[in-house]
Amino acid sequence: MEGTDFDEAAFFRSIAGSGVRALLIGRRALVALGVPVLTADYDFWLHADDVVALNQAVESFGLVPNRTPDEARQVGRYVLENDEHVDVLIARVVKTVDRTTVVFDDVWSRRRELEVAPDARIAVPSLDDLILTKRFAGRGKDIDDIRLLEALRAEEGSQ
Amino acid sequence: MTERIRARLKAINDRTLSPAEWKARMSLAVTSEEHEQDRELIRWFRRRYTTPADRLAYARRAYARWTWIR
Repeated sequence: MEGTDFDEAAFFRSIAGSGVRALLIGRRALVALGVPVLTADYDFWLHADDVVALNQAVESFGLVPNRTPDEARQVGRYVLENDEHVDVLIARVVKTVDRTTVVFDDVWSRRRELEVAPDARIAVPSLDDLILTKRFAGRGKDIDDIRLLEALRAEEGSQ
Repeated sequence: MTERIRARLKAINDRTLSPAEWKARMSLAVTSEEHEQDRELIRWFRRRYTTPADRLAYARRAYARWTWIR
């Protein structure tokens, strides 16, 4: 089997070096924290003012946005694609399926940083906030991920 | 597995639950045995792949294997 030639370390390094306020969320964040789940794509929650900067940071990887920055801000999300799929949420405020309000700036202030490649630190939400993000879309598989995050929280709490 | 079945399963998996369905599913208790199994899985993963970088690299290899097997 052949993987793509996508350089994940360079991708994260480029994002980290750009200074954008980007939180890695979704299952890729779970993996980085220590939960073995399968995922095909990358999910970020990005500060709405940093859309242009993120697009510039990943342009050299052939990742093309499917919306203009203004369109993306109106819709609240967009996608960067080539063989890889990067889903970018840029809503400043999101309500969970059970109506809890989650504010990007608050989550950003509570972020933790992980070294995901040499010279590349990426921000992920705190565990409590990552569980909140898993309540955004309200899918059955998100409940499975919440269960795993709660196990991770128990594991980290015991250390 | 045919593409049609695969697409159907994906649609089921990605379906947004209603607030009532969400509440009902969330109220299902995880048994202590299931919780401990989850924690053991996490302990294995973090022992085997000690850094975020190693874990992310594993995930890409695992996905490549899975898509090849499909």
